Amino acid sequence: MSVAAERLQLPFARPNVLDLAPLYEVLRREAPITPVTTPAGDPAWLVTRFEEVRDLLSDKRLGRSHPEPERASRITTAAVQDGPTGNYETEEADHARMRRLLTPAFSAKRMRMLSDYMQQLVDGYVDQLLVEYADATDGVVDLHTGLAFPLPVAVICRLLGVPESDTVYFHSLSERMASLGTGDDAHQAREEFNRYMIGLVETKRPDLGEDVISDLIRAQSADETFDYGEMVRLCVGLLFAGHETTVNRIGLGALFLLTHRDQWEALTADPVGRVNATVEEIMRLGAPGDLGLLRYAHTDLDVAGATIRRGDAVILSINAANRDASVYSDAETFDPDRPERTHLGFGHGSHFCIGASLARTELRVVFTTLARRLPGLRLAKELDELEVRPTLTGGVTSLPVTW
Amino acid sequence: MKVTVDQGKCVGSGQCVLAADDVFDQRDEDGIVTLLDADPPAGRLTDVRHAALVCPASAIIVEE
Ligand code: HEM
Ligand code: SF4
Repeated sequence: MSVAAERLQLPFARPNVLDLAPLYEVLRREAPITPVTTPAGDPAWLVTRFEEVRDLLSDKRLGRSHPEPERASRITTAAVQDGPTGNYETEEADHARMRRLLTPAFSAKRMRMLSDYMQQLVDGYVDQLLVEYADATDGVVDLHTGLAFPLPVAVICRLLGVPESDTVYFHSLSERMASLGTGDDAHQAREEFNRYMIGLVETKRPDLGEDVISDLIRAQSADETFDYGEMVRLCVGLLFAGHETTVNRIGLGALFLLTHRDQWEALTADPVGRVNATVEEIMRLGAPGDLGLLRYAHTDLDVAGATIRRGDAVILSINAANRDASVYSDAETFDPDRPERTHLGFGHGSHFCIGASLARTELRVVFTTLARRLPGLRLAKELDELEVRPTLTGGVTSLPVTW
Repeated sequence: MKVTVDQGKCVGSGQCVLAADDVFDQRDEDGIVTLLDADPPAGRLTDVRHAALVCPASAIIVEE
């Protein structure tokens, strides 16, 4: 167990935005649960093998809260996934209420009903890209600012009932919150985001509409155990998770497809037939961010030869699990035709992503439309030349393409 | 084939509906799974099995 002899320091440097550090492969084989030092300098366990990651994601002995929060390991200096969240005593009940309130609004059926709206949006963005392309002397346009970014933002604004004119502001707050830089700017940004959300909530209150934030305001005023601050945190979390993650995934998906020309051509030949499998493969291999899902042990537990103590931080690397060679054949290869159809890209168990149907619907619309309307699409820069965002959620800052 | 769902385990993810919307649905009020067809035709086996496989709560059981 050579690798486990010393505590490894997270994050592990990655070769580029698509590939993971080769060290993960060694860890999965030799030390699937290994002690690490977090970016914030505290001890934690890193779990890298599919089986253990999946099992621990559905294990009720771990949670997001900590029995003694002030003693908990800190993970990052950002203001998301930085440490324990929620109240140890009421975590389960609070979480159950959150799921009950939000699940119906993001159900598969409702998201399907939105797909015509998404299609109109995407067609509009592609029309605009065509105009920009005609005007660009070098024939290069940016798929990030032209499509990957505006689509998820427009959709989440509509669902949540947030004015789209606030985009620049809440996006800059999100970036600062997830920033891995030092200092406490990330936490100031979270404070500002909270204040912004309180302002929005109070503006909406006299005239509630048919949107998720209005629903949460109604639910909070009808339930005295539903704390105002918790409702605000939830709204901030939705606006953050609802755009950051999907923007990145569209960008990574385009990069996987455009650096695997055969897969792109297969998709352009049969967009509707191939899009679902293509999107699932993008979900499996796309690995923004270099950490994982965060939990704290609520009791002592033995897993794969390691003894995790009550209160220990556990980082579940879904990125590593999704490339586990004991589960996936040619695990590192982008191959939508692979026989294995599951992945942990949206998590697993009770915290499984609430926005999964939304994100999938958006990704499907984006990639069928690009394949249909811009079949000659290609990258205008090398993969290594693309700038990666220095945030917890990763992704690229621009995606120059041509056709 | 015989399909059963455990509503107590279901976390309302909608994965099953995306896989086979003729067999599974979600309740409007809380997103919990309901069965539209407990005995789907054999031709639906692939999609129904897929639903059981991707269910994040292991709440779906399929017997051939
Ligand atoms: C491709 C885009 C997305 C990816 C890759 C993604 C990924 C994830 C993952 C891995 C989790 C599990 C977290 C954990 O177990 O700790 C999660 C949870 C969550 N996601 Fe997403 N997500 C995406 C899009 C969205 C969208 C669009 C929304 C907007 C509604 C959203 C809302 C949530 C919420 C509220 C949770 C917390 C669920 C809970 O704790 O029960 N996500 N997401
Ligand atoms: S996939 Fe499983 S958890 Fe999700 S709605 Fe269907 S039964 Fe429930």
